Amino acid sequence: MLVDKLTAQGATGLSITSESDIVACRKVIRDLTTQLGFGMTDVTRIVTSVSELARNVYVHAKVGEMRWNSMRSPGKIGIEIIFEDKGPGIADINQALEPGFSTAKSMGMGLPGVKKLMDELEIVSVDGKGTLVKVKKWAKVK
Amino acid sequence: MNYSNSNYITVFEQWEDQKKFFCFTEKDAENLQKLHTISAQSCDEVVESLYDHLLQFEDVRIFLSNPEMIKRLKESQKQYFLEMTAGDYGEAYYEKRINIGITHKRLGIPPRLYMGAYSYYVQLMLPKIYNHVDFDQKQAQELFLTFFKIINLDQELAISAYVHAVESVVMQQAEEIIAMSTPIMQIWDGIVVAPVIGTLDGQRTQQFMEQLLNQIVETKSTIALIDITGVPQIDTATAQHLIDTINAVRLLGSNVIITGIRPIIAQTLVHLGINLKEIITKPSMGAGLKVALDMLSIKTS
Repeated sequence: MLVDKLTAQGATGLSITSESDIVACRKVIRDLTTQLGFGMTDVTRIVTSVSELARNVYVHAKVGEMRWNSMRSPGKIGIEIIFEDKGPGIADINQALEPGFSTAKSMGMGLPGVKKLMDELEIVSVDGKGTLVKVKKWAKVK
Repeated sequence: MNYSNSNYITVFEQWEDQKKFFCFTEKDAENLQKLHTISAQSCDEVVESLYDHLLQFEDVRIFLSNPEMIKRLKESQKQYFLEMTAGDYGEAYYEKRINIGITHKRLGIPPRLYMGAYSYYVQLMLPKIYNHVDFDQKQAQELFLTFFKIINLDQELAISAYVHAVESVVMQQAEEIIAMSTPIMQIWDGIVVAPVIGTLDGQRTQQFMEQLLNQIVETKSTIALIDITGVPQIDTATAQHLIDTINAVRLLGSNVIITGIRPIIAQTLVHLGINLKEIITKPSMGAGLKVALDMLSIKTS
């Protein structure tokens, strides 16, 4: 699996420079969350969010990267995924989180959707400098 | 030749920069003229020795089984070495070097052997360079550095060509996979089915939409069943692509039924706030087909 290969190489990140990298991001996170023990529903929620956020990087900034950290403690598993780019930044984060708002002529449902799909969403953006989006998802395990 | 679609190969326009990047100067081109004297004197001997060395190895002998072929290769090898020190280092030189890489790849000769042969060649040339300058350290060093640069430039082109050859195969396969994974077929008079397998990204949607619209017109179908059982997840971009496709089908006066929406997909679509209100959706293709037949007033029992 791609994630095993990357882990063996000591990598915890992937660069996003093309549409096929979005596919790679999804694949890594799908494998990783499945291995961690997330249920199918959560895996799909997380992977859908990754798809949205990776695409945002690609569409708005052209170049960026995705990094991840997995967390496991007794009875609990979690994943943290970070997307970082040096793109144009988000002028108004609250507006970006409103359903239907888009600067890219798309649906404008991505970011508000991610907020619902994940447990935590944190956005740091500097106009003209870049954007960092951090999402987290937790699950209880036996 | 045009390599502009390659991510790896240096295009000729960039090759001048590439030479600068490798610190290959006019002075180096001059030095190569000096090296050419050595090359011309020792060419026969070097090539013979190189092939004696190469033919000791079983995996090389696989490629060099025929004596006629070896003879021919030795000749072209001599040419290759001579050109390396007498080249104009312009476009013709550049093209030829790239072709070497492409040819090696085509013959199935791995970079390992190509690089290994080069290493042996350097080993043979080094004492000859020293001899030529009467063991003057400074001069020898300068010549050898030049020699080293041209070899690096050479290898970079050949290796990039190798990668490019592999890359072309991958790109071609990707296109084939896209075409293969969207079969669209007529299953009833007036009904076409389009199962989507994998992810619907930009380029793929375009092709899928074209194929579907053509098929609808060709078969004079009024209903298209788009089955998404094989789509692992739907994000807003995929949903938008689907909606665009549905709108295009509607413009042709036909209806779309989306089938194969799995419970997980339904949940994520709701979370994403995607509204498929005006689209007929069914959990399975069977259920979708039944609706289609009803719409066409075809009785099933």
